[in-house]
Amino acid sequence: MMHFPTRRTILGAASAVTLLALTACGNVAGGGTADSAKYPSGPVNLSVGQAAGGSTDLIARALAEGASKTLGQPMPVVNKPGANGALATKEVAGKPADGQELVLLNASLITITPLAVSADEAVNIDDLDIIAGLSQDDYVLVASAESGFKTFKDVTAAGRNVTFGTTGVGTGSQLAQTVLFKQADVKGTDIPFDSGKPALTAVLGNQVELATIQLGEAMPQIQAGKVAPLLVFSEERTSFLPDTPTAKEAGYDVPVAQYRAVAAPKGTPQEVKDKLLAAFQESFKSDAYKEFNKKNSLTPKEISGEEVVTEWKGYAAKYKELVEKYDISLSGNK
Amino acid sequence: MDFLNPVINGFAVVLEPTNLLYCLLGVVIGMMVGVLPGLGPAATIAILLPLTYNVEPVTAIIMLAGIFYGAQYGGTITSVLLRLPGEASSVVTVFDGYQMAKQGRAGTALGLASIGSFIGGTAAIIGLTFLAPLVASFALDFGPPEYTALAMLGILLVATISSGSKAKALIAAALGLLLATVGRDIFTGESRFTFGSLPLADGIDFVPIAMGIFGLGEILYNLEERHRAAKAPSKVANVWPSRKDLKQASGAIGRGSVLGFFLGILPGGGATIASMASYAMEKKRAKQPERFGKGAPEGVAGPETANNAAATSSFIPLLTLGIPANATMALMFGALLIQGVTPGPQLVEQDPELFWGVVNSMYIGNILLLIMSLPLVGIFVKILRVRAAILAPVTALITLLGAYTINNSMFDVTLVVVFGIIGYLMKKFGFEPGPLVLAFVLGELLESSMRRSLLVFGGDPLGFFGRPISATLLVVFVLVAVLPAVRTAIAKRKRNSTATTPAVTPDIKEKV
Repeated sequence: MMHFPTRRTILGAASAVTLLALTACGNVAGGGTADSAKYPSGPVNLSVGQAAGGSTDLIARALAEGASKTLGQPMPVVNKPGANGALATKEVAGKPADGQELVLLNASLITITPLAVSADEAVNIDDLDIIAGLSQDDYVLVASAESGFKTFKDVTAAGRNVTFGTTGVGTGSQLAQTVLFKQADVKGTDIPFDSGKPALTAVLGNQVELATIQLGEAMPQIQAGKVAPLLVFSEERTSFLPDTPTAKEAGYDVPVAQYRAVAAPKGTPQEVKDKLLAAFQESFKSDAYKEFNKKNSLTPKEISGEEVVTEWKGYAAKYKELVEKYDISLSGNK
Repeated sequence: MDFLNPVINGFAVVLEPTNLLYCLLGVVIGMMVGVLPGLGPAATIAILLPLTYNVEPVTAIIMLAGIFYGAQYGGTITSVLLRLPGEASSVVTVFDGYQMAKQGRAGTALGLASIGSFIGGTAAIIGLTFLAPLVASFALDFGPPEYTALAMLGILLVATISSGSKAKALIAAALGLLLATVGRDIFTGESRFTFGSLPLADGIDFVPIAMGIFGLGEILYNLEERHRAAKAPSKVANVWPSRKDLKQASGAIGRGSVLGFFLGILPGGGATIASMASYAMEKKRAKQPERFGKGAPEGVAGPETANNAAATSSFIPLLTLGIPANATMALMFGALLIQGVTPGPQLVEQDPELFWGVVNSMYIGNILLLIMSLPLVGIFVKILRVRAAILAPVTALITLLGAYTINNSMFDVTLVVVFGIIGYLMKKFGFEPGPLVLAFVLGELLESSMRRSLLVFGGDPLGFFGRPISATLLVVFVLVAVLPAVRTAIAKRKRNSTATTPAVTPDIKEKV
């Protein structure tokens, strides 16, 4: 897929002009509606702050496919990887609020990343209008075959230092494990990998004994019996691993999952948001999208934008409190 | 035959029409840049990287690999017909190839070179087929300590790869390592050398560096050169060598295949060294060494076989260990990474379709090249008429457009321009760009693996020697560190015995 920068720029400029013109007209009742009625006036770009081929990117593509049909306009997915997605998010937040530019948000960018990076790299959810929540991607704690761990009790009973892989600094994987080990009083060495795949490979080769990985990634190896699932970090058991207990059941207070949502720049007209929401809901209903979620072990969490904001802010506060309570620093230096 | 199943599935992958098409595209482009002096396979691959984004990984690598080995065929044509090596690896072909052309046997020389290339390439693919799964069977034993040792080995070899000054190669490599540290420290989340710039927060991408240094830098550098206008090449007739010629060359082809295969596997080796070694060996073995330089068929067949065998076998360290042996392989490494595929011991197991698809595409590519190179020689020679004044702006434009499309970012375009200027200055002042790019690729691997290992070992560096694979690799590391001294000693002895070798034409510049 090729992108046409000039066309986008022109579109962007055109919409900016329209917006200016509208502002000039003053707040005439229904002024916005006339413009929004024509929405979408061209392709709706869905930016993704992660590289093509990753789980976030795949979700964006599955979603865009259904939504573009309903909107009657193409919805190209634009990958702009960098800084955990902060780059793409900040860029979209600065675009005209006309609904032509959207971004697919990872909850971790709002809830966990600020705990690990400087304030100017962090993203504030209030700078965006959340259109809809999408799905929940659970984390599972897996153990290598050689470690002998079959349940989390084995780990706490081992009474020795264990090595555990994370999918990187400032990720849910790191947060979930460090908090869990503090609560369970397990001594562990935190070894960050670049992403889920190398962390899983390290567990397969027993380079590390434990790792916390996203369910979709770990599933094939769990099913093949190569790694043992010890815990999931969701609030309730996931339908994909019904026999694996949650951390909560095991007595630990560490609810961590990756949530995703679609957002638009702040101040997007309500009519535009409604249209987009309707298009996404149409996408949610399609068999192809449902099948996609199932295949990638994603639990649908198709909640409203307001709910997303409340929930994510809740998690952000919760994680901050946990990190402070147990004196954990996500940026190493322990 | 469980072992052969994935191999056969690999053929199914290659025979998909898209993959066949990209294979053909790759070898045709390779052949063209092989003919063109001034544009090498590494530069071409760097420039065309963004084109491969929207195709399947296997298709992308099939095409890029085609460019690489296709260039080995193309380079021969101009060596023989015009005494103008299109590629560094075809320099020695000039000696006897051009002489044969002067004697009216240009067709025979090209025919022998093509047949030799085909046999050498095919022999190396067979070697690759059997060797790769062997290495891959250790895949899961490769943990952070092993990668640390491998990366150290690779970076040390950077110095031996360089054909110019060792000190300059080390400086370039150090710069590459330094560039690799830019961005977020993946262990602490701390920003390093980003100067508060968000686009730099994740570090510098490999692709803009490669496109800048290899692509744009090469184009800028070539603008300085005024290429001689291509003369009408000698007539090419009768490309099928006679039975007598074949018999004369068969030994050279056999030896060239084996020699090229092994020199290609050695990190730091590659097509150029293989072709030179083969020429030296043929001359040494010949009953009448004085025939060399006057149109000896072995002098064409041997080196041309060896450079193709080496071009193919240099995929072995890349695809099985994830260690690029030379600059072109570093680009392949980058291309795979962009496609979300990490080359390494797990590749054969996790991605058999990609692995065997690429390996088997080389059979097809070699057959295509054999078919093309004989009857189409005349057409390829015509490419030489394209003037640099037209070629340079077009390639520069493609490079910059391509750079933009990667991340839709103007920042990347700026990076390409900056690294283009750096690449140009490096070439101008005699710094090889290869070590910089290799060290950049391996630097991140080295740093993260070493820190991960030390975490696993609880901070004890002796842990590296407690594991069989990493210990072995570290021993090899020490050996390689000593090797250049040994090599110099051998070269000194050799120089005394082969003082009569004609000097390499001085206006031939090493290309990447």
